Amino acid sequence: MQDTQVRDAVDQVRSATQQLHKAISDAAAKRGGAAKADLEAVPMKAKAAIDSIKSSVATQNAAAKKHLTEAVTFLEATRKHAAEGVKTSGKEFQTAVRQTIADARAAVQQVSEAVAAKRTAGATASAKK
Amino acid sequence: MRNYVAVVFDDTSKAYEGLHALWQMDDEGAITVHGTTVVHRNDWGEYQVDSKDTHPALATAVGVGVGALLGALAGPAGAAVGAAKGAAIGAASGGAGGAVADLNRADTRDESRYETGWVLGAGQSAVIADVSEDTTFPIDERMRRLGGSVHRRAYGDVRDDKWFGDYPYDYYLYPYEYVPPYSPWWA
Repeated sequence: MQDTQVRDAVDQVRSATQQLHKAISDAAAKRGGAAKADLEAVPMKAKAAIDSIKSSVATQNAAAKKHLTEAVTFLEATRKHAAEGVKTSGKEFQTAVRQTIADARAAVQQVSEAVAAKRTAGATASAKK
Repeated sequence: MRNYVAVVFDDTSKAYEGLHALWQMDDEGAITVHGTTVVHRNDWGEYQVDSKDTHPALATAVGVGVGALLGALAGPAGAAVGAAKGAAIGAASGGAGGAVADLNRADTRDESRYETGWVLGAGQSAVIADVSEDTTFPIDERMRRLGGSVHRRAYGDVRDDKWFGDYPYDYYLYPYEYVPPYSPWWA
């Protein structure tokens, strides 16, 4: 039962970070104030993902734990660049958006690799039974 | 094992079926998909990559990044898009065509290092994916049934293959199933 809960927690974190990336890349498609308004919501969403990771990381295997810890670092960078981005305009704003997308993309990548590590460990354990 | 996979289809709709199947296999836990995109080559031989309607600079970066990845996966003989020189391919965003491939600038480095050469022919589409798979069977079998031909390179080999530009290749792949609004998939 615990295994199911842990699996669900990491999968939910993955889904949350995917949604975060989607939101930022959609914001990049908008112009001016609309893009900025969307970006304003990013730090809070990133914080929610960080909290989810922190609540589930302790029960993970070493490989997954390493990836999730790195994901937190990238999500912190996502928050920072999004928060800085809303205070800028023009070329600086575009640069901030690009950095925010890159950070969010790297965070999803780390969570996705944590999922892969968890699945591989599960498959190996099943094969040994 | 971690691999970059390119699945070539003769038909664009089939390519989106292939894309959907990959993410479906991820949902089932058979593989883990880290990122995907779909690249098209039109009847005039021009390359285009699916991309969200976004700032032109970002769309261009996607075109260059995926072009480099395609070159790294297929080799100069196959894709004719060089990784080392980062020749641009068009990022098809929001239905508008981007810049077309500058094939004259394509890198012509030694192709002997490539395990498999393949060609994305005119009118074909390829699903490019970064995946973790315990065995190659699930993807090979599913794609074969859809009429796709699967080509792989180990993630580690491609990572060592240079040309990272501002960001690694992963950055240019969508970390979820993205199908552009103009795709025949929605028809």
